[in-house]
Amino acid sequence: MKQILIGLLFISLYQPVFAMEHGGMIMDETGMIMNANPDQLPRDCPQISENKDITIHAGQQYAEKFTGKMFAFDTQEWNVKPCAKINITFINDDQIRHQLMIHGLPGYLYPDGMFHLELNGTGQLQASLILPSQKKTYLVHCELPQHMEKGMKAQLKVEGGDGDLPSIPGISEPIKADLYNTNWNQLSYAILAFSILIGAAIVLMSVIYSEQLTRLLAKLGAKLKRNSPSDLH
Amino acid sequence: MAGAIYIIYYTYPHQYNKAGINPPDTIYNQAKDNSNIEKPCSNLHPEWRAAQVIEDVSINASPDCEPDNPYEVATSVRGTNNVSMGTLMHTDFAQDALIMGEDLDKDGDPDIINIKLEVVELNGSSPDGEFLINTFDVAPGIQPGLWVYAPKSRGMAVKNYNSLVSNPLLRAPSPVIRVEQGDKVYVTLENTHYLPHTIHLHGVDHPWMTAKGEDNDGMEEHAVFPGKSHTYEIQPRHVGTMLYHCHVQTAQHFMMGLGGMFIVEENHPNNWLQTFNVGAGVVRHPSVAVKKEYNQEYDLHYQSIDKKLAHIIQEANDPRLVAQHMARDYNMTESFENYFLLNGHSFPYTLRDSMIISSENEDIKLHVANFQRSAIALHIHGHKATITALDGVDLTQAQQITRDVLDMATAQRNDVHLKTQNDGLHSYGPGLWMFHDHVPTGTTTDGIEPGGNMAILAYKALLDEHGMPKMHEHLLDQVFNKEYYAKRQAVWTEGSFGALLGDAGILEPNYLQMLLFGAAIGLLVGLFVLLILVIKRKFKS
Repeated sequence: MKQILIGLLFISLYQPVFAMEHGGMIMDETGMIMNANPDQLPRDCPQISENKDITIHAGQQYAEKFTGKMFAFDTQEWNVKPCAKINITFINDDQIRHQLMIHGLPGYLYPDGMFHLELNGTGQLQASLILPSQKKTYLVHCELPQHMEKGMKAQLKVEGGDGDLPSIPGISEPIKADLYNTNWNQLSYAILAFSILIGAAIVLMSVIYSEQLTRLLAKLGAKLKRNSPSDLH
Repeated sequence: MAGAIYIIYYTYPHQYNKAGINPPDTIYNQAKDNSNIEKPCSNLHPEWRAAQVIEDVSINASPDCEPDNPYEVATSVRGTNNVSMGTLMHTDFAQDALIMGEDLDKDGDPDIINIKLEVVELNGSSPDGEFLINTFDVAPGIQPGLWVYAPKSRGMAVKNYNSLVSNPLLRAPSPVIRVEQGDKVYVTLENTHYLPHTIHLHGVDHPWMTAKGEDNDGMEEHAVFPGKSHTYEIQPRHVGTMLYHCHVQTAQHFMMGLGGMFIVEENHPNNWLQTFNVGAGVVRHPSVAVKKEYNQEYDLHYQSIDKKLAHIIQEANDPRLVAQHMARDYNMTESFENYFLLNGHSFPYTLRDSMIISSENEDIKLHVANFQRSAIALHIHGHKATITALDGVDLTQAQQITRDVLDMATAQRNDVHLKTQNDGLHSYGPGLWMFHDHVPTGTTTDGIEPGGNMAILAYKALLDEHGMPKMHEHLLDQVFNKEYYAKRQAVWTEGSFGALLGDAGILEPNYLQMLLFGAAIGLLVGLFVLLILVIKRKFKS
């Protein structure tokens, strides 16, 4: 396997967008690593709080435990401490390309705020990154057309995160939900008819027993009046 | 009471009313939002237009507004394994998208070709909001759901992190693929999509089974499921313009855009071919055989879209719902064609990247393929062209026909020799000659003219420095506007005729009439209540 490491100078010549101080990319015919960061501390981190090894599988088979999805990671959520260093082993179990992108990272360490692993087919990659101290939920996804939309979406939470992202399989609801057919059977029609009868009965009964009802209400009102001042004590 | 009913009948407020002596004034422009107007040419990459040499590949000039990326052309010729990292970084190709192997016949060009294709959904839906993702506009404001084969790509599928627009490699039509006669070609379908697909090599010489005894014809029963890949093997003996397309749920998948041209070129020494012609159109690095006889070469991919079918992928996200809605709920025998594309675009976008641009006395080779549901009748204004091959089979000199309407049924191909020799037969001289499908619907976009697959055969002197046609300023201002294709703009707005043929304004309501009508209704309701009270009192007494 012929590894081609593209140095900073090289990148700045061809792709100004990558030309950041700590930017870097390793690419060969099996895939690529962009913006890995094993040693640069975020400004707000005096030191690395924990070293966490995470293995992430990507593949069509991991969508089988969900309904209405086609691609997924094997895990949908990770929790780490502020200033944690994460060592990711990314494994692609499919015969097609998958990515693992983490968004919203500080731009001075990760150009475009992005950490990006990509595997051109079955295989694995390893790379590390260091997270800042902020309590935050980061988007982790595969950006191939319709892969995130069809389930390859997860979240990385620092110190419990700042909420859930939408449409994470098994965790959160979508913003734009699909519509599914509803099972209207004999029982549901019977329940509907019964509830209509009950409603009608309430009206009929209150007309028939209107006098008793008025008396009852008056009694109740008087009782309440008597009780309410004592409640204040 | 009879009086009230009489008044109600005569004062009933209608939507449409007579105007009297003076009809309402003309409204010149109903669209209030100017942000929907686009620049005819954004002139993003003027440096791509000139003839140039990259990776020792000579790339012809392309004066279009949006010329093909010359780095993409060079990589398509050399292969992703033979170009520098710098060149590759100027493209969106994956590093294993096109691997060129050994030169088996020692004639100076590679003969083992590994092509990898992915399946991409354009203008698809998202569970994360009311927007479409990986967008590709076929005309101003027109974003039908599409499926295409795309050369294996890398990195972001959108232009950048803040954009929903597809990167330039992900577009309609599926790319034109060129290989040499006798090459050992391995076409790998990596199914990145959420439904099963195949590649059927229509008309391309291929054995029915691979060497391993697996499927090689891309039929329904050997579908490649999501996340899986399959390699089709060919060594074509016969030269010609052929096709590749998906053969799973063929009616729907073909209409969704899963089809492209597959061209087998003659074997010649040092014949490095442009394997991918992304977005079809001009071939900036033609083959040895084409260069001998012709000055230029173009691929014209005609395609149509059924907007209801295309919308299915935009209204549901669950793959099961998409499968059900497309395969069973939607009846393909009730399908209509609403959008007509040439090389993935409808007019006016065809002017940006799909004009035929020529000087006088040129010989131009056209590969025309019909991916529409209906037949096309291609007409080139001011020219009569000669058909040299049908469905990839060369015609003898005696069989060749010169005519001005080329009719092609679905999936048929014509190889055409277009001459720009001003002799009153082949060409009537320089001009901005329109060419289009002469089936009347072909020049419309969801019924709006001018649209559809209209494009221009442009003589160079009549183009401006951005490669856009001169003398079209008013038309361009009018049609590079989403409002026009949203049907909110009058068709003729030129000069004093704007007042005569613009949109008629709307009438103010007749308030006196409305008052009378309301009062009469109120009177009737009052009478009715009174009637009930009277009846009730009568019963009591």
